[in-house]
Amino acid sequence: MLDIRSKLSDFYSLEQLAAKQTYLHKLHPIAKIIVTLVYIVCVVSFPRYNIHSLMPYIFYPLFVMAFADIPFSMILKRAMIALPFCLFAGISNILFDTGIYRIGTLSIGIGWISCIAILIRSLLSVCAILILVAITPFSYLMDGFRQLHTPNVLVLLFEMTYRYIAVLVEEASTMLTSYRLRYPGAKWPVIQDFGPFIGQLFIRSYQRAQRVYAAMQCRLYALGNKKPISLVWKKEDTIFVVVLTLLCVVFRMVDLTVLIGGMLC
Amino acid sequence: MLEIQEVTVTYPDGTKAVDNFSLQIPDGEHLALIGANGAGKSSLILSLVGVIESKGKIQVDDIVLTPKTISQIRTKIGIVFQNPDDQLFLPTIYDDIAFGPRNLGIDEETIKHRVLDRLELLGISHLKNKSALKMSGGEKRMAAMATILAMKPSVMVLDEPTAFLDPKARRKLINILKSLPHTMLIATHDLTFAKEVCPNCVIMKEGKVFAKGKSENLLYDEKLMDEGGVEAIGV
Amino acid sequence: MHMADALLSPTVGVGMCAISAASIGYSVYKMNKEDVSEKKLPLMAVSGAFVFAAQMINFTIPATGSSGHIGGGILLAALLGQYPSLLTLAAVLIIQCLFFADGGLLALGANIFNMGVIPCLIIYPLLFKPLLKKGFTKKNVLIASVLSCVVGLQLGAFGVVLETLFSGITSLPFQTFVMLMQPIHLAIGFVEGLITSVVLMYVHSAAPQIVESGMNHSNIQVSIKKVVAVLAVCAILIGGGLSLYASSFPDGLEWSIEKVTGSTEVESQEALHESMETIQESTSFMPDYDFKEGEGTGTSVAGLVGGAMTCALAGLAGAIIYFAKKKSKEGA
Repeated sequence: MLDIRSKLSDFYSLEQLAAKQTYLHKLHPIAKIIVTLVYIVCVVSFPRYNIHSLMPYIFYPLFVMAFADIPFSMILKRAMIALPFCLFAGISNILFDTGIYRIGTLSIGIGWISCIAILIRSLLSVCAILILVAITPFSYLMDGFRQLHTPNVLVLLFEMTYRYIAVLVEEASTMLTSYRLRYPGAKWPVIQDFGPFIGQLFIRSYQRAQRVYAAMQCRLYALGNKKPISLVWKKEDTIFVVVLTLLCVVFRMVDLTVLIGGMLC
Repeated sequence: MLEIQEVTVTYPDGTKAVDNFSLQIPDGEHLALIGANGAGKSSLILSLVGVIESKGKIQVDDIVLTPKTISQIRTKIGIVFQNPDDQLFLPTIYDDIAFGPRNLGIDEETIKHRVLDRLELLGISHLKNKSALKMSGGEKRMAAMATILAMKPSVMVLDEPTAFLDPKARRKLINILKSLPHTMLIATHDLTFAKEVCPNCVIMKEGKVFAKGKSENLLYDEKLMDEGGVEAIGV
Repeated sequence: MHMADALLSPTVGVGMCAISAASIGYSVYKMNKEDVSEKKLPLMAVSGAFVFAAQMINFTIPATGSSGHIGGGILLAALLGQYPSLLTLAAVLIIQCLFFADGGLLALGANIFNMGVIPCLIIYPLLFKPLLKKGFTKKNVLIASVLSCVVGLQLGAFGVVLETLFSGITSLPFQTFVMLMQPIHLAIGFVEGLITSVVLMYVHSAAPQIVESGMNHSNIQVSIKKVVAVLAVCAILIGGGLSLYASSFPDGLEWSIEKVTGSTEVESQEALHESMETIQESTSFMPDYDFKEGEGTGTSVAGLVGGAMTCALAGLAGAIIYFAKKKSKEGA
C-alpha cells in the first residue's frame, strides 16, 4: 500500500514545484517546450565518442534548477530511474566497441567512452524534461498545447487522465490493502487472482467514467466548446527562446571546450 | 418551482427504477428526499436533467424538459453529485468551476467574476488554482457546489451531500445550504442533517412516493420510517 | 520497453514522432467521424488512469518468485476499441514521459509506435478481432489474447531493436540485440496474454455490456485490401527506416559488424554505405564534422581539459546561484 501511494506522491511533487513563482515559471509554456526540444536534439545529436563537447550543456539544467529553486537531489533521483536501459546499451558498447582511443600517451577503450557519453546524454536529456515539468504548471502546459491547436479531445484527455490517476491509484491501493489483509504474507496478488483484481479495477473505472460523463453532461459539455486561452507571448519569451536556442546550436557547432582547453594548454 | 409529474424510469432489463413519481417543490423550498439504497433516488435525479431517459413531465419555472430544452433545463437545475471526484475533472478548481459557464458561451471576464464570487461565497478562495488532488473531503464538496452555483441554477439537487464529510465540514455545509435561496432537492441518508436543512421531506420506496410531510414529524415516526426502509431518528 | 532520448538519433526520433502523430491524428479523425469522441472521452481518460494504477500492481508467478506488471495495449484495445485505446495509451505514455522520465521526449514517437500503434492499430484489428469472430468463449479469448500479446510484443521489441540500431548509438550487433530482446519478450508476451484473457473473461462475466460495447464499436471488416494496405505501410516504414539508418548512422553498425564477425560482410555494407552517403549529407540534421576527431591527439587533449573546466565552471556557477538565492531568502 505504502509503496503505491509513495509513487503517487512522487508523481505530484513535481506539480508542487511548478506552483512556485520564479521568473522561469512565468515564461510561456511553448517557449519552454521549444527550448527543451532544441536542447534535447542538440544533446543527443552529438557523435557517440564525444564527451567533452557535451560539457557546456550542463549549464542549462544547473542554472535552471538553481534559478527555479528546484532541489538537485529530487531531479537526480528521478533521472536515475531512466538510466537502467541506457546503462544496458552503454555496457554493451563496452563489450562490442573494442577500438582504442589515444590521448597523448593514455589509451582508453573506445567502448568506455561511448558508454560514458550515452550515460551523460541520457542524464542531460532526462533532466531537461523533468525541469520542463517542474517549472511549468500542468494546466499551463495544457494551455500551451491548446494554443498550438492540438485537438480539444486530446488536451482534455491529458487533463482528465492526469486528474484521475490519483483517484484510481487510491482505489487500487485500497483494493490491494484489503487483498493483503486476507492473504497474509502476499505482497502482490498471485497470478490466478489477477484477472478478477484488475478486472474489478476496470469495472470500477468504467462506472466512474459513466458518472463523470453524466456530471459533464449536466454542465453542457461539448467538445466544440474550447477553453479560451489568455496566455500572452511576451518579449521575455522571445528572448528566452532565441538566446537558449542560439546557445544550444552554437555549442553544437563550435567546440567551446576545445577553445578553452587550447587556451590553457 | 420544480415540478415532477408521473415520471417513470425503466432500465433496459424492464425493472422500474422510478415508478410514476410526482412531486412539486415551490420556489425557495428545501426538500429532503429520503430512501434506502436502491429506492431510485439517483435515477430520479439524473432523469431530471435528461441524462437518464424517462417518461412523464419535468418542468422548472416555465420550461418543460424536451430534447430541445435540454440545455436550458441543465442550466436551471444544478446537480451536485455524491462523489465530488466525479465532478472535479480538470487540473485546477478554477477550470472546473469555469467549465459550465464556458460551455454557456459566457465571456471570460464575466466568468472570472463569477468564479471568484462563488469561491468566496463558499469560503474556498484559497483553493482557486489548486487541483482537487490534495483537497480534503469538505473542500472538494464545496468546490463541487461552486461548479454548480457558477451555472446560476434556480434549482439545486444534491445527492448525499454529507458523504465524505467530517463533523466540522458537515456543520459548515449545513450553514451554507441554509443560507442559499435556491430551491433544493436533497437526497440523503443523514436524517438529522435533513431535519436541520429541510422543513419538509419525501420518503421514496421502490421508485414511488412512499410518504410526504413535515420533517419534524415524519423523521421521528419509527413505524413509518421502518416500512420506508430507513431508520427513524432516535428520540 | 520505454526508449530513452539518449538512445535515439534525432532523425529516427523525429521520424517516429511523425509516424505516431499521423496515427494519432488519424484516430482522432476516425473518432470524430463516427461521432464518438465526446461520449468516449471520459471513459478514455479514466481508462488511462486505470492503466497507470494497474501497472503499479505487480502479480507474482507462483513457484518462480518472479513478478511483473501488465502493459495493457491489447487489453485496452479490447475494452475500448482500437482508436480510443491508441489515444489513451498515447496519453499514458506522454504523462509517463513528462512526470516519471519514463521514456524520452524525442523518443515519444518511437514509444507510442512500439507500445500503442502496434497493438491497437495493427494487432487488434488484424489478429485479435478476427480470432474472436467465432464468439466470446473462454478458449477463443485465451488464444486471441495470448497470440495478440505475443505477436504485438515481438513486433514492439523488434521496433526497439531497429530504432536503436538505426540511431547508431549502441554498438550491440543486430543479431545479439535481437537474441536478447525477442526471447525475453516472448515470455513477457505470453504472461501478458494470459492476464489479458483472464481480465477480459472476468469483465465479460461481471459486466458483459462493457466488453460488448467495446467490441462492437469499431466495426471494421477485415478485407484483403486493408491487409495489403497495412503491409504496404509496414513496407514503407521499414524502407523509410532503412533510409533513416543510412542518413543518421555514418558507420557504427558495419563497424561493429567488422569487430564481431570479421570482415566478410563488410564489403557489401561499405557499398551500401557509400551510396547512402549522399543522402546522409543532404538529410542529416547536423553534419558529423568532428567524428574522426579522436585521431588528432592535440585537439582531444584540449577537449578533455576544456570539458573538465566547463563542467567545473557550470557546477560552481549553479552552486553560487543556488546558495545566493537561499541566502537572500533567509535574509528576507
